[in-house]
Amino acid sequence: MPERQRRIRWRPWLRAFHRDLGYLAVGLTFVYALSGLAVNHIADWDSNFVNYQREFQVPTPLPSDDGEAATLVLAQAQIAKTPVDVYRPEPGKLEITLDDRTLFVATETGRVYEEGQRARLVFRSVNWLHLNRGKKAWTYFADGYAAALLLLAASGLFMIPGRKGIAGRGAILTTLGAAIPLAYLSCVGSP
Amino acid sequence: MNDQPVSERCRNVARRELILKAAAGTIIVAAGGGWYVISDRLTAKARAETRPDGRPRLPPGQRVISALKPMGGQPGDPNRSALRLKVHGEVEHPIELDFQQLLAMNVVQRQADVHCVTGWSLLGGRWRGLQIKALAERAGLKPGARHVIFEAAHGYTANVLLREALAEDSMVTWELDDHPLGRPHGAPLRALVPDLYFWKSAKWLTGIRFMRSDEPGYWEVRGYNNHADPWKEERYA
Repeated sequence: MPERQRRIRWRPWLRAFHRDLGYLAVGLTFVYALSGLAVNHIADWDSNFVNYQREFQVPTPLPSDDGEAATLVLAQAQIAKTPVDVYRPEPGKLEITLDDRTLFVATETGRVYEEGQRARLVFRSVNWLHLNRGKKAWTYFADGYAAALLLLAASGLFMIPGRKGIAGRGAILTTLGAAIPLAYLSCVGSP
Repeated sequence: MNDQPVSERCRNVARRELILKAAAGTIIVAAGGGWYVISDRLTAKARAETRPDGRPRLPPGQRVISALKPMGGQPGDPNRSALRLKVHGEVEHPIELDFQQLLAMNVVQRQADVHCVTGWSLLGGRWRGLQIKALAERAGLKPGARHVIFEAAHGYTANVLLREALAEDSMVTWELDDHPLGRPHGAPLRALVPDLYFWKSAKWLTGIRFMRSDEPGYWEVRGYNNHADPWKEERYA
């Protein structure tokens, strides 16, 4: 009898391990799941930025000095920012670059085309992490999280015995889950 | 009289309800998806059209959209005054051109369709820029060159065959439909090779390198097709 008790004591340990590892993984799961959804549908929705364009008119004639012209255009557009650059690529055209937008000015007509983007803070951050744009130490956290997911999946299989153990509903659902990528590969094509 | 315990009966009812609701939800989503596909007139119209070279205007597996979509990537400096385009590799005289020097060359406008590997196509965009063959001529392309590598911000590269880079409608471009290229689309300058999937048309372009041998680019070493012909659905390696 004492021998039997010793044999089954590993499940509570496994459950405790699974639960605590699960708590640790919650934050990163949200990061990777949210970003995964966003990046999967990048063709339908830019999760990093809100992109916008607008056109408006400023009075002419504009000052011949590029800096003064830029100041006037920005004042007309009610943009209280300092330009990163003011550039005249060819006669009649002036480009005012700010950190988040560019204003293309037709100096003869006073027509301004503004093109810019506003960052979506949360999605841009989680995408940045998911795609490991920063590299450096994040690779270690990402590797650790991947290992944690493997451990969670493996421990989840065995932590609650069920009436038939792994052979019952667990076996059916596990097989079904594994069959999905295999069926997809065989139906749609494989590398 | 049902001799099942109450807790067991409750669980069964809840499960039945869940299955019914899931089935209803699936039908609604499928109907919505079906309606979306059927009502896509732009795609239906394009499917009926043929290109001058005899190929269908819309490659297989594509749907038509009405505006270019931002597809991510690591943006470069959008400032035109900071642009320096290097043309180098298998050329007699490597050159580096700023934006004003590009404008001073033989600027052209071409109408071209583009096809993204994710399944959308934008048809009939008016792209303004320079033909790559004009840049190759200016730099003095050597006879041994066979491949072209587009170099872009943050080390991104895309490789194309020389003959495809020198095609009539292959360009470096800075304007689409009479508006400057937007930041998400590669401002100030991107490549344009319309007859290949759009990832080959590198955004935030900084260089064109002519090569004797091929050198797979950023996506090509990550499982995407080395050639990327949309009519052959060369999406993946």
